[in-house]
Amino acid sequence: MKTLLSLVIALCLIGKAIAQMDEPIVASDSLEIGSNPSNVKDSLPYAMVAGGSKGIGYAIALALAKRNYNLILIARGYDSLVAAKNKLEALYPIHVEILSYDLAKEESAPAIAKWCIARNIRLKVLCNVAGLGGEKDYLTLPLDSLRYMVNLNVESCMAMSLLLLPLLEKNTPSYILNVASMAGFAPIPAKNMYSATKAAVIYFSYGLRKQLKKKKISVSCLTPGPVFTKPQIKKVTKEKLGWFGMQMAVPPKKVGEKAVKKTLKKKMIIIPGTLAKISSTVIRTLPKRWMVGLYGD
Amino acid sequence: MLPYALVTGGSKGIGYAIAAALARRKYNLILVARDHSTLSDAKKKLESSYSIHVEVLSYDLSLEDSAGKIAQWCTDKDVKLEMLCNAGGVGGEKDFLSLPLESLRHMVNLNIGSCMSMTLLLLPLLEKNAPSYILNVSSLAGFAPIPSKNMYSATKSAVIYFSYGLRSQLKKKNISVSCLAPGPVFTKPSIEAVTKKKMGWFGMQMAVPPEEVGEIAVRKTLEKKMIIIPGMLARISAAVIRILPRTWVTNIYGHADKSLE
Repeated sequence: MKTLLSLVIALCLIGKAIAQMDEPIVASDSLEIGSNPSNVKDSLPYAMVAGGSKGIGYAIALALAKRNYNLILIARGYDSLVAAKNKLEALYPIHVEILSYDLAKEESAPAIAKWCIARNIRLKVLCNVAGLGGEKDYLTLPLDSLRYMVNLNVESCMAMSLLLLPLLEKNTPSYILNVASMAGFAPIPAKNMYSATKAAVIYFSYGLRKQLKKKKISVSCLTPGPVFTKPQIKKVTKEKLGWFGMQMAVPPKKVGEKAVKKTLKKKMIIIPGTLAKISSTVIRTLPKRWMVGLYGD
Repeated sequence: MLPYALVTGGSKGIGYAIAAALARRKYNLILVARDHSTLSDAKKKLESSYSIHVEVLSYDLSLEDSAGKIAQWCTDKDVKLEMLCNAGGVGGEKDFLSLPLESLRHMVNLNIGSCMSMTLLLLPLLEKNAPSYILNVSSLAGFAPIPSKNMYSATKSAVIYFSYGLRSQLKKKNISVSCLAPGPVFTKPSIEAVTKKKMGWFGMQMAVPPEEVGEIAVRKTLEKKMIIIPGMLARISAAVIRILPRTWVTNIYGHADKSLE
């Protein structure tokens, strides 16, 4: 196992070197206030971002705003939604609609779809970013959290895609971006449930992409390595993956920018960061039981 | 006193075959399924063939409170539970795109949610009666995405990942976790028809009768194997599917799907 680990690390070092040569991605934050009058704003296409008020979701929303998409942001907390709306509308000449729903609840997806269909929204992009992270071990999780994670990570993504399909079909070429994780490439014992739900998202995306190809809807799946959207994630990554994990981490803004760029280019699997990309290739090639051994408990 | 094995979805199909194989090895059984009449049929058949007790619990496992009630029942009776088989699941003949929303939820809750919550809630009993066993039933469809069985594939991959992680977590507690990933098993005439149409001769060759699947599943679970694939041809196919890049396999499946249109 040790030799294997050093092999992985060696590969990753090479990757790091390549990464430095990689084109610099600067999510330019330039405050160029657009001069779109409101009638121009009205004609912009819409992108929906579930979980768009914070973290990777907000970064994706930002990257879409930069490309002149009007936005519909969905999240649980109303205050963080309003804050996101204010920031985005100040930065870019777009409309931002906000809908406050708990996507883990059964009635949320139908209500959101109904809202969009009633307004005949020109929906071109659907980003299923909402998800619950997996810092807690399966064995110490109460049953409610377990159900909540399955409902939010798997079910809401499937339900939203199904119910918004009519609008996406009407506004082709259109795009669906599901957010999974590198944890979905091989089972991590300590993040057992999280890994399992994210694997389901990856599989679902592969199948859906194939199914929707002839309808001119492109499906992508973002599978980032560590992204420090919360101080806690940084701490856990440092403890568990050490120096290597810190090197692999990519800032949220860059993740959002990459995700949107590649989604619009119709890429299937999107992994921001060269080191993360190389690690993923290794993880996906190795037998799962080795990976379980490597990840340990 | 004989030890107990709990089989969800144990009244029919692969679940019943697993129950029969366990009965042969002198396990008392607790069968869980939705339909009470098929449950009592299964009970009668098993009790007349083998000298064991069969308890039947009629629950819809896709409902949130079912797992809790079943676990409560077992804990109250302090059942000597040595094996949990999560065989309750719904198949995927229907395409994601033509599925109503309720079926989607039903599938996610049954195939993923119930397996995870049954395991979590019965863990105390399994720990008490270690060495014990958990057998999760997945499918060959969980090794690579099948476009026409999109959701089914996705839920079954989650079961495989979950089993891998759980096995590592429970090793030191002396609980062995296995995952059954069979190819086509003709538990219903409709499955035979679809397999013949989609995969032709090859699919028919790969098929394994339910009884054999149950027997192999139980034998290998007791031998503490991780991934259990009955049938040589299915095993070889699985190895190929797992090695090939997912996009390729998805495309191959996609071609097979076209023959259905």
